[in-house]
Amino acid sequence: MENSAIQVKNVSKRFKIPVKGHSNTLQERFLNPFRKVQYREFDALRDLSFDVKKGEFFSVIGPNGVGKSTLLKIVSKIYVPDEGSVEVEGLLVPFLELGVGFNPELSARENVYLNGTILGLTKRELDEYIDEIFDFAELKDFADMSIKNFSSGMAVRLAFSIAIKVKSDILVLDEVLAVGDAEFQKKCYSYFDSIKGKKSILYVSHALSSVEKYSNRVLWLKEDRSYEIGSPKEMVKKYTGSIN
Amino acid sequence: MNRNDIDLYKQFVKTIFKMRYKGSLLGFFWVLFKPFFMFIILFIVFSSVSGTVGDLTSKQYAVYLLSGLVIFTFFNEGIVWGLGSIIERADLIVKINFKREIVVISALTMALINFAINLLIVAVIGIVLQIQFSFIGVAYILLIGLTMFLGMYGIAFFSSIWMVYLRDLAHIMELVLQLMFYASAVFFPIEMIPEKYQFIVRYNPIAIFIQSVREALTHQNIVNLNFVLGSLLVSILLVLIGSVYFKKKILRVAEHF
Repeated sequence: MENSAIQVKNVSKRFKIPVKGHSNTLQERFLNPFRKVQYREFDALRDLSFDVKKGEFFSVIGPNGVGKSTLLKIVSKIYVPDEGSVEVEGLLVPFLELGVGFNPELSARENVYLNGTILGLTKRELDEYIDEIFDFAELKDFADMSIKNFSSGMAVRLAFSIAIKVKSDILVLDEVLAVGDAEFQKKCYSYFDSIKGKKSILYVSHALSSVEKYSNRVLWLKEDRSYEIGSPKEMVKKYTGSIN
Repeated sequence: MNRNDIDLYKQFVKTIFKMRYKGSLLGFFWVLFKPFFMFIILFIVFSSVSGTVGDLTSKQYAVYLLSGLVIFTFFNEGIVWGLGSIIERADLIVKINFKREIVVISALTMALINFAINLLIVAVIGIVLQIQFSFIGVAYILLIGLTMFLGMYGIAFFSSIWMVYLRDLAHIMELVLQLMFYASAVFFPIEMIPEKYQFIVRYNPIAIFIQSVREALTHQNIVNLNFVLGSLLVSILLVLIGSVYFKKKILRVAEHF
């Protein structure tokens, strides 16, 4: 454990999905009082074990629906595993989406405080960082404008500028690059370069070239719930091979 | 509770508060204007309809009427906002692992802020109408407010979780609250109810709180003290048991949104 930032041991997660829409209304139960609500059981993860070493850039790849996001949510303590355990050493901040809690009606400045606090910063720290955040986002003149009038690119830039100020030892990143344009992605990659080796990163992406370039190791989750861990080059090659 | 938890709590309360009056011309003034004019309208309507009620002068009746309304509004908002607190922040809860208790206490805090504002307006109206306030009476009203706050906070630990599993609770609660309103004798003294139905009001905790506040305001009497202290104890227990229940159940809530 001394060398691990995240240790995932024999984790399984099964979801029960009601076959017909919602199960949590009385209408459903009144109309069908005797029929048990039918569930489709769905194994999102089955007996998965791996660890992310301190300072390691660890990526997860695989097709849609193999439990990548479920895995990130379990590691981030949003879901609890049915079996197995997850141990985290250090401060972990999940970025399953950029700009969590952004309120379109509020101004950019108000949203920096809201989103920054949600991500674990204190008001005092945000007072200190706020100018830098707007400088980095290149949105200085728009600080008092409502976010609803922002283009999606502007909102992402603002969210990213807050995100890089957040204190953390471990980052959990889910497809954060998918939302931005080329210039934004360049910014992200140079940020990755700057934190490489300093922070531990658990990264999910379909951008295989970035996975290959930045990762130390890669976990490939397969449709039949088996998995492989290996070098980025090998895993990406095997995964692309399995698609074609 | 660390520094960030407290800041997050403040941010949530601030955001709910801001959102309520966003885009309106008068903004925050509505916080004071709306209840004030609502009280004025009710006072005019009811004082002209019923003149004097029981042994109350018309001035006392104004305070009498408003205090009942303030207590019931506090109860209504605390229950409804507590119930919806988790489900309304589902967007955040599935994305990040902050302390979930903060959304519950934020919702209850909003109800408390409204309560404080409404009390202040009643106090102002009372002073204008030259009602005598006693120190002990005001302290007793604050104690009742605290008791209700803790009780509703404790209930919210359960109801906010149940709401995720049974969405119908919102509608059921609306009906129950409507019923509670008429069973709480908000607009009329309990003596006006036929004897055989009076028990409904006598055993309704909200009605007892309202009656106690009214006595404290109009006659400077402390009534139902044992009941209030007992409720305070039950409320504290509810918070303690509720927070344990909440901590355990909240872990799996994110899967059920």
